[in-house]
Amino acid sequence: MSNNRENTKPASAFDFDDDDPLGATEVSKKSLVIFFLIDTSGSMKGKKMGELNTVMEELIPEIRRVGEADTDVKLAVLTFATDVKWMYSAPISIEEFSWAKLNADGVTSMGAAFSELSARMSRNSFLNSPSLSFAPVIFLMTDGYPSDDYKVGLKALQANSWYKFGLKAALGIGNEANDEMLAEFTGTKDTVVHAYSGSQLANMIKIVAVTASQIGSKSMTLSEETDRELTEEDVLTAKQKLLGEQIQGLVNQDDSNDVSFDTGW
Amino acid sequence: MFKGFSNSVRGASHEKRNLVCQDSSAYKACDNYAIAVVADGHGSKKHFRSHIGSKAAVDAIIETIDKFYSDPDRFEECFQKNHKFVLQNIEKQIISLWNDKVLAHIAENPVTREEKSDFTNEEFKKIPVESYYGSTLIAAVMGRKFSFGFQLGDGSLVAVFEDGHTIMPIGDDESAPANITASICNANASRMFNSFYEPEKKILALLCSTDGLYTSFGSDRDFLDYHTIIAGQLHNAEAFEPSLVKNITKRTHFGTEDDISLSCVFDEKLATEKLEVLQKAIEKNKEKAAARKAKLLNR
Repeated sequence: MSNNRENTKPASAFDFDDDDPLGATEVSKKSLVIFFLIDTSGSMKGKKMGELNTVMEELIPEIRRVGEADTDVKLAVLTFATDVKWMYSAPISIEEFSWAKLNADGVTSMGAAFSELSARMSRNSFLNSPSLSFAPVIFLMTDGYPSDDYKVGLKALQANSWYKFGLKAALGIGNEANDEMLAEFTGTKDTVVHAYSGSQLANMIKIVAVTASQIGSKSMTLSEETDRELTEEDVLTAKQKLLGEQIQGLVNQDDSNDVSFDTGW
Repeated sequence: MFKGFSNSVRGASHEKRNLVCQDSSAYKACDNYAIAVVADGHGSKKHFRSHIGSKAAVDAIIETIDKFYSDPDRFEECFQKNHKFVLQNIEKQIISLWNDKVLAHIAENPVTREEKSDFTNEEFKKIPVESYYGSTLIAAVMGRKFSFGFQLGDGSLVAVFEDGHTIMPIGDDESAPANITASICNANASRMFNSFYEPEKKILALLCSTDGLYTSFGSDRDFLDYHTIIAGQLHNAEAFEPSLVKNITKRTHFGTEDDISLSCVFDEKLATEKLEVLQKAIEKNKEKAAARKAKLLNR
C-alpha cells in the first residue's frame, strides 16, 4: 500500500476534539529569550539596587503583554559581582517568572559574566528549546567599570553566533558607567543609554526591555515586498537598526528631571 | 505487517499570505519494507520552485529505495555487509534522480516572467537552476532485518522501540542561527547527508517530520514523548490519523506557523502486542515531565 500526499489540507482545521490523544501535549509558541546581565557589585548598593528591583518587578507584566499575542518570552537573569550567578537554572517563561530581589556586594566581574553568558548561549545549554524562533535579546546594566579583564570574556562572547545575531542593548547607571565600553558590548552606540537618576533608571529599563522584546519577537522572516524569506543577517541588521532608532527616539522624549544618583543618592 | 501514513499541512504564516505549502510527504508500506519520507522546500527568494523540489525529493527517494529493494534478499545481504557503502550509493542515486526530475520540470516549464520579476537580470543569471527547487529531505526505512534512515538538512527522525523508548538516531550538530541549511540542490549535497543504521534493536515505528513540528515543542523531551503517544495509537492508526492531522494543524496555528509534515511507518503487529507497554511508558513520561517542570521553577 502506498500513499503520497503533497500539500494536503484537513477538512476542518479548528474542529479540535476534546478526547484527542495528542490534546494534552502542549503547543509551544514561538519563543524569545531575553538575557539580563545585571551588575550587583557593592557600588550598586542602596537606592540604585532598590530602584532596579522595583522596576524589574514592574517590568515583568509589561513584557508579558508583549508576548501575549504569539510569542513566549523567556527570561534569564545573570548577576555579576565578585561571583556570577543565574537567578534560575534555565530561562523561565515570563508567565511563570517571579523576580527574586537582588542584593549588592563585592567587585564587578563583568568579564566573567561575559564568559558565563557565552557558555550558556548554546543549543546545548540555555538555548535548547526547539521553539526558539528569534535571536536573543541581551541587555547589560552596570554602574561601573569592570574589575576583571572584560576583554577576555567579550572576545569569547563575540565568537558566539547567538551573540552576533542577538539584539544587544546596554544601560549605564550613574556617572561612573563607561558608555564607550558599553558600546563595545553592544557593537553600536545607538543601543547604549544612560540613567543618572532613579526615575531615569526606571524609564530606561522599561524603554529598552520593552522595545527590545517587541522588536526581538517581530517575525521578519518574510519580506513585505517580495513575500520571500529573508536571511538571518538581513533580519539582524534590520532589527538592530530599528532597536537603535526606537531607543534613541524614546530616550530623547524622556524628560525625567529628578536628583541624580551621584549627587543626591 | 508494515503500515504507514503521511500528512503535510500548510503553515499558518503561508496561509495568511496565500503561499503554497513548501513541504511534501509520502510513505510506502510493502511486505519486505516500509519507507516514510518528508521534504521541506526552502521557500526563500531564490528557491521559488521549492514546493515542486520537495515533491521531486520524496518521489526520488521512494523510487530509489524501491529499486534497491527489487531483490530484497540480495539488498539485505549487501546492506548488512557494508551498510555505509550501500547508503552512500542510495544517497547519490537519490540526488541524481532528483536532478533528473527538476531538470525535466524546467524543460517542460520554463521560468516565467513573473518568477523572474523578483530579480535583476544579473542576479537571476547567478542562480543555478537546481536552486529554484531547493529542499531538505528525511527518509526512514523499516526492513525485515534492520532499519535505516538518512537526512539532508533540518527536520527530525524519531525511532520508537518496542519498550516505548524513543530516540532521535541522527545526531544534531550545534546549530547556530547563521547556519545555512543543507540542501539537495547543493553542489556537494552527497557529502552533506547524515544517516543511521539499526541492525539489532526491535523498532516499532519510525517517524520523519519537517522542522515545523519540532519547533512547536518546548523541549526535546516533550517532542520525543509526543512520539510515544503516537506509537500508543498505532494499533488503530486509521481511526487515529484524523486526530493527528488536527493536532499538527493546531501546532502550526499556535506554534511557529511553519508548514508541518509527518510521515510514519510502523510494525502493526508489534504496535498491537506492545500496547500495554506503550501506555505505561506514556504515563511515566507524564510524571517525569511534571517533575522536570517543578525542578525548573525551583530557584
